[in-house]
Amino acid sequence: MTFDLQKIFQSKKEFRRRAAALPVAEKLRILDSLRERIVFLKSSIISGRTTDKPGSPPAHR
Amino acid sequence: MDIRGILELINGLEADGVIDRYAIGGAVGATFYLEPVATMDVDVFVAIRTSPDRLILDPTPIFDYLTARGGVPEGEYIRIGDWPVQFIPASGPLLEEALAQAAKIDVEGTMARVFSAEHLAVIALQTGRAKDKARLLQFLESGVLDAKRFQAVITRHSLGEAWKRFESQFLKDGP
Repeated sequence: MTFDLQKIFQSKKEFRRRAAALPVAEKLRILDSLRERIVFLKSSIISGRTTDKPGSPPAHR
Repeated sequence: MDIRGILELINGLEADGVIDRYAIGGAVGATFYLEPVATMDVDVFVAIRTSPDRLILDPTPIFDYLTARGGVPEGEYIRIGDWPVQFIPASGPLLEEALAQAAKIDVEGTMARVFSAEHLAVIALQTGRAKDKARLLQFLESGVLDAKRFQAVITRHSLGEAWKRFESQFLKDGP
């Protein structure tokens, strides 16, 4: 872990490059998953639900 | 149903003659070339069959075909599995060319026709919303564009001024 911004940007760039280089089928599966997450988050926000379990700290709002 | 299943259904639309030709655009199309970007829908650009007595493009045959196979119409979209899918007529010279020159890409045995990276980038330039500009930057930074082909599409569709503005706004250092 580092707080060197140049290294952080470089690492982000490398992560994106690796993600772009994945096989197309794998990238489409990631799209399916990303969409599921967005739908879940949206429905949670709309219904006022959180994913908190009993005893867990309060969610940041 | 996942995106691959949707591609199979859309291939069926073409094979059964409901549409002449299709190509995937938007964020799903961009994902064929770039890292995956979260999106809520699938944009399918189509050449729709028209007849002399029908001047307005009618998506009804597409909706009928897909509804018979489990699709659910929702306003401008048809929901297939978890995904809202929007069919967009490829109208105008740029979209028509993009559709004609779209690439065939194999997705684990399923054929997908997708706009070329260069056309997706120029369509983003032409559309010009904030998210389109962000996508164009992604294309430029990714190194997937064929620079000659990209510039040729810009020139053919008279988007030189828009490109100059984009360049000076995002690609030039300093004030």
